[in-house]
Amino acid sequence: MSFAKPGSLTRKGLGQRAKSMGIPLLAVILALVGMYALPLYSDSEATSFNFYNAMQNFAALGLIALGVGLTIIGGEFDISTLGMYTLAGMVAVMAGQDSALIGLLAVLGLAIVVGGVQGLIVAKTGISSMPVTIGGYFLLLGAAGALSGDTTVAYENPDVGATLDREVGGLLSLRSIIALAVFALVAALLRFSRVGRDLRAIGGDRRGALLAGVRVERILVGTFIASAMLAGLGGALLAFSIGAARPDAGLQPLIFAVTAALVGGVTLAGGRGTALGICAGAIALSLLNEIFSILAVSTMISSLVFGGLMLLVVIADAPDLREKVQAARTRRRLASQDESASSAVSEGSSP
Amino acid sequence: MSSADLTLPVRGRGNLVGMLMPAVVGVVIVAIVVAGATTSGFMSFANAKAILASVAVVGILGVGMTAIMISGAFVSLSLGITAAVSAMLFMWTLQYGLVPAIVMTLVCAALVCAIQGVFIGEWGANPIILTIAAGAIQTGVAVGLTEGAMVRPPDNAHEIINSTPFGIPLSIFVLIGFVVIIDCVFKGTFFGRRIFMVGESRPAARAAGMPVGRVMAGAFGIAGVAAGITGILLGSFNQGGSMQLTGTLTFDAIAATLVGGTVVTGGRGAAWRTLIGALAIGVITNILLLRGYSTGIQIMVKGAIVLAAVVLVHVALTGRGKK
Repeated sequence: MSFAKPGSLTRKGLGQRAKSMGIPLLAVILALVGMYALPLYSDSEATSFNFYNAMQNFAALGLIALGVGLTIIGGEFDISTLGMYTLAGMVAVMAGQDSALIGLLAVLGLAIVVGGVQGLIVAKTGISSMPVTIGGYFLLLGAAGALSGDTTVAYENPDVGATLDREVGGLLSLRSIIALAVFALVAALLRFSRVGRDLRAIGGDRRGALLAGVRVERILVGTFIASAMLAGLGGALLAFSIGAARPDAGLQPLIFAVTAALVGGVTLAGGRGTALGICAGAIALSLLNEIFSILAVSTMISSLVFGGLMLLVVIADAPDLREKVQAARTRRRLASQDESASSAVSEGSSP
Repeated sequence: MSSADLTLPVRGRGNLVGMLMPAVVGVVIVAIVVAGATTSGFMSFANAKAILASVAVVGILGVGMTAIMISGAFVSLSLGITAAVSAMLFMWTLQYGLVPAIVMTLVCAALVCAIQGVFIGEWGANPIILTIAAGAIQTGVAVGLTEGAMVRPPDNAHEIINSTPFGIPLSIFVLIGFVVIIDCVFKGTFFGRRIFMVGESRPAARAAGMPVGRVMAGAFGIAGVAAGITGILLGSFNQGGSMQLTGTLTFDAIAATLVGGTVVTGGRGAAWRTLIGALAIGVITNILLLRGYSTGIQIMVKGAIVLAAVVLVHVALTGRGKK
């Protein structure tokens, strides 16, 4: 940390960074309060096993949130992460029956191809990434179904799951430690290397970034490869852990991922967001999910709450709404200034 | 993009996109011939009827998707869910009579989608995420109210929807009527032109003083009506409504719209294009089904078709523009 003078740029930057972490941290604190206050509103209380469970959930879905979040920071949106998450589980289980490592390598190799092709299409043609990755999502989801014949495939090597899920320090497992380490790696990359600055630049102002000499195509392709790898890693580790891969995970993982990213301070307009923020958002949602499972809430309620939460954050993120709120605020301030000015005038004119 | 760039080559680009249509029709004809020659059971009257029934459902929902795409909101990822929920609602409201049930279903579906349109048009909310969220909420409410059970009709009043005048499913007439009406709305009404203008450029439409929120709500309202009709047809055909009806409907509707040549970025497209797109998707799905390919392969093929359509239309649009 530098010793910045008041009002200098660094100071402002620090303030903004604190502000950008404010909401994600608040979300985590709220979720923790909800967890510890369980005895107040139910018959159960949170044990360390529940925190362990929440982190297990984080290990799978947090990684997709990071992948999607990275593409959103870069001004794109990779829906195909949902397909990659599903297909990765299938590939990991089918290719990794003898050795989990081979399964994992197969997934990462596939992710490089998937992310590379989609990234190249987006970067070279300039087509919006949403239609491209929706096509990619269908393709990958279909491939998962085609590989498995539309059924759940079991993983015959339970030792792998047992190793991945063994408790470490009461709260974590090898799987959640891997996820946290990946978050730390990406956070460091975004914070301390040129890549992070370039990614935000192309997300905030693509043309400006290009003019400033950012290698936009390379960053874009790299981001799509990263998002496919992250989603793939999450899906593969989950499949090893539960010892099976399903041909269709539904939309829930994407709902979780996008909500986590938005709660974590990423804005859909692009150019803003941090890996730590996404991490906090994902942990908060994992805790909320665990509270629901402790309360044995029906899937309908949790689907309603998560859907409603996503609706809230996407509306709060809407750029034109922000503009309107800001305009209304300015108007009110001007109006009050006018009022005080006119009252001052009338006071002055009165004898 | 300069202003000259915007005005002059439009006709040329339109023609290039237009050339995709003969290509799609050609592919359909070739597919029919090849399939007819090599797949047993394809060239039968019963199968033709099955294809038409699925084309009707995908086509009607696709026309709704087309309205959304033209308005510049890209797609709704929960239109299939709205259709399934509509089927459930239709089955439940049948107790008040057939006509009230149809009216209530269409109004509810239109409202549910129009609200989403307001958020997207008025405040600029991201359409993909907003529609996914809306889908999760609709699923939650529907499953909660029915406890996951299938909603059964109280009597046989809905059977009239399954009738086949002149040997053709009623749904085909509904599809053709819907396509004609929507294309008339698109081309012939003030409101329809406004959807195109908002889709072409939202900032420009806003600068011109257009009520973007209301126009988007209207476009999504059309999609809602489409989902409502789809739900009524599906519910009647399946003798009940449940979330299972969603299936791959949303994918199919998106694929039909894109294959028809409606432009993903908005401002250009037509309902009749989607009709042809739905025919192509219907024939391809049917061939895959008859040959015993899994659902996975079917979704995969549709994904490849969507990707190809997106890239081809883009190339057709920008190829001329660059010269």
